[in-house]
Amino acid sequence: MTRKKTKQLISKILFYILIVVIFFYLLFPFYWALNSSLKSEAQLSQTPATFIPRDANGKISIFWNNYASIFANATFVRSIFNSIIVAGSTTLVSLLIGSFSAFALGKLYFKGKKVTLYLILSMTMFPQVTVLSGLYAVITTLNLAAVPSMILTYMIFTLPFTTWVLTTFFKQLPNEIMQSAQVDGATPFQTFWMILLPLTAPALVTTGLLAFIAAWNEYLFALTFTSIEPTARTIPVAISMFSGTIARQEPFGEIMAAAVMVTIPVVLLVLIFQRKIVAGLTAGAVKG
Amino acid sequence: MAKKQSSLLLKRQQSLAIKLLLPTFIVLGLVAIYPLGDVFVTSFTDREFAGGEDNTTDFVGFQNYFSLLGFTFKELPPVLNDDGTQKIDEKTGEPVYERAIRVLPRDPYRYRELSQFNWFGKRIVVGARNPDFLKAIWNTLVFTVLSVFLETLLGLFIALVVNSNFKAKGALRTTMLVPWAVITVVSARIWEWMLQPGNIGFFNMLLFRLGLGDGQASFLTSAALQMPSMVMVDVWKTTPYMALLILAGLQTIPKELYEAANVDGAHKVRQFFSITFPLLRPALAVALIFRTLDALRVFDVFQVLLGSKMYSMASYNYFQLIQNRQMGLASAIGVIIFIFIAVFAVIYMRLMGVDKE
Repeated sequence: MTRKKTKQLISKILFYILIVVIFFYLLFPFYWALNSSLKSEAQLSQTPATFIPRDANGKISIFWNNYASIFANATFVRSIFNSIIVAGSTTLVSLLIGSFSAFALGKLYFKGKKVTLYLILSMTMFPQVTVLSGLYAVITTLNLAAVPSMILTYMIFTLPFTTWVLTTFFKQLPNEIMQSAQVDGATPFQTFWMILLPLTAPALVTTGLLAFIAAWNEYLFALTFTSIEPTARTIPVAISMFSGTIARQEPFGEIMAAAVMVTIPVVLLVLIFQRKIVAGLTAGAVKG
Repeated sequence: MAKKQSSLLLKRQQSLAIKLLLPTFIVLGLVAIYPLGDVFVTSFTDREFAGGEDNTTDFVGFQNYFSLLGFTFKELPPVLNDDGTQKIDEKTGEPVYERAIRVLPRDPYRYRELSQFNWFGKRIVVGARNPDFLKAIWNTLVFTVLSVFLETLLGLFIALVVNSNFKAKGALRTTMLVPWAVITVVSARIWEWMLQPGNIGFFNMLLFRLGLGDGQASFLTSAALQMPSMVMVDVWKTTPYMALLILAGLQTIPKELYEAANVDGAHKVRQFFSITFPLLRPALAVALIFRTLDALRVFDVFQVLLGSKMYSMASYNYFQLIQNRQMGLASAIGVIIFIFIAVFAVIYMRLMGVDKE
């Protein structure tokens, strides 16, 4: 009896240790970035590296200047604005035209629906790098600036995704809503715009958030299209090219401060909307 | 009369549907379909980017593909001593062979050494017209296999843990979203800093403290450590996504099955292999497809951490397009990546039986 109990206790303790290890694994790199962002150049080159910012005598000493210098860095600050504009516009446009298509695919009858659905689904797996050189040609032909180029080209991964996910949401809405609206004399478009779309608001938030994060993360297109227009650089490009105010070795203290600053808002967003995000991320997977 | 009206209604729905789909088709046509066609056509030309007026583009057939993928095998003759026996290197004790550069063809195209191997007592050298690209393909494949394998194992493990009942379950599931939400480039730079050589880097400090190294390992510059480092960075960033997908699959398995199994006295391992795993297969298949297709086009971590030190297919494509301005060649690389991804997608769907539904 007691033996069984101790055995249970041991396995319970082991299980909790396991959970702590998982927590640690998931969060440690971020902790290390935070720790390093609060160290001065001298503290960063101190060996062995310390787990908390300390001075040469081993006393805790926190250095805030990295944060001051990244916000004095015009390139970095501008990249935040660029990222917000690019990711925000991409999201809004893909939600708007994606919901149009999703309504058509989820609630209207027309020929070629199945083919269209498969086409859109296959596009969600489209390898963006494949069309890189072709897109570059399109952009130069249209003579687009870097910011609109990014907004347009990011649609290649946000639009099929928003369309696909919203289609499944529209399908779930009962047909009776549409029929009763039509009996009341609403046109199908009015029914969509004034009745169905507001009903899909939760789905719009979820898909919009995921599209925003995907666009916020994007690096390849941003790097390519801002190569001749450095002022349009987004956060990933700016951070990948981060150089200090004074030419020297890579300023990792500032890079880590920048990493922390751009990660916190997204993490907060994710924490607030975590249920929706998990549902959105796994929506496609469970249905297959 | 009613029939006529309903067909009218259908017609109106049809025309509305087309109007609603039009913006999506215009955008996707502009950013996906047209560029894809353009890439296929350009891959058969020697087009260069932003060349001068005099720079004409010519049709070159499959030349870009041959120059990217062309390879050859040649036997290396042994270097002989005066008495006719094979020379042995005094330092390494290895038999000495002719240098590859003397054996590999130069005309009409130059082949450079890719690797060497022994085959039935003969020394064979693999020559490639573009060793960088063939290496990039190899790197990408190795990266994909290793990272997807580890992410699946680790993701499955974490998902099983989260799926059991304990306090802080919600907190752990939320924390799983953190690596996923971090920008890939940002995570790459964080890891770059942790992987710094010398004791300033976290890993060197850790290994040194554990007595496992001299604290001088250069993870990102030594050829043997580059690939493991890439896999490690990618596994941290994408395991949570894998775990979430698997977790969603686990939650669809009815609890009653386990209750019944408990009544029958089946132990946990048995339960995993006869209930969990078979029922998890569809979710696992989808997760594997997503991750594999993603890993095959890996760009961010390779570009940020290794640049020109080691290429993935995508970062080599970028290099040829932006640094070398070779549009024709870059397009051919794009097509090759496309074919790779399509082949993998079809194989996976067949193997896992996803398309049966």
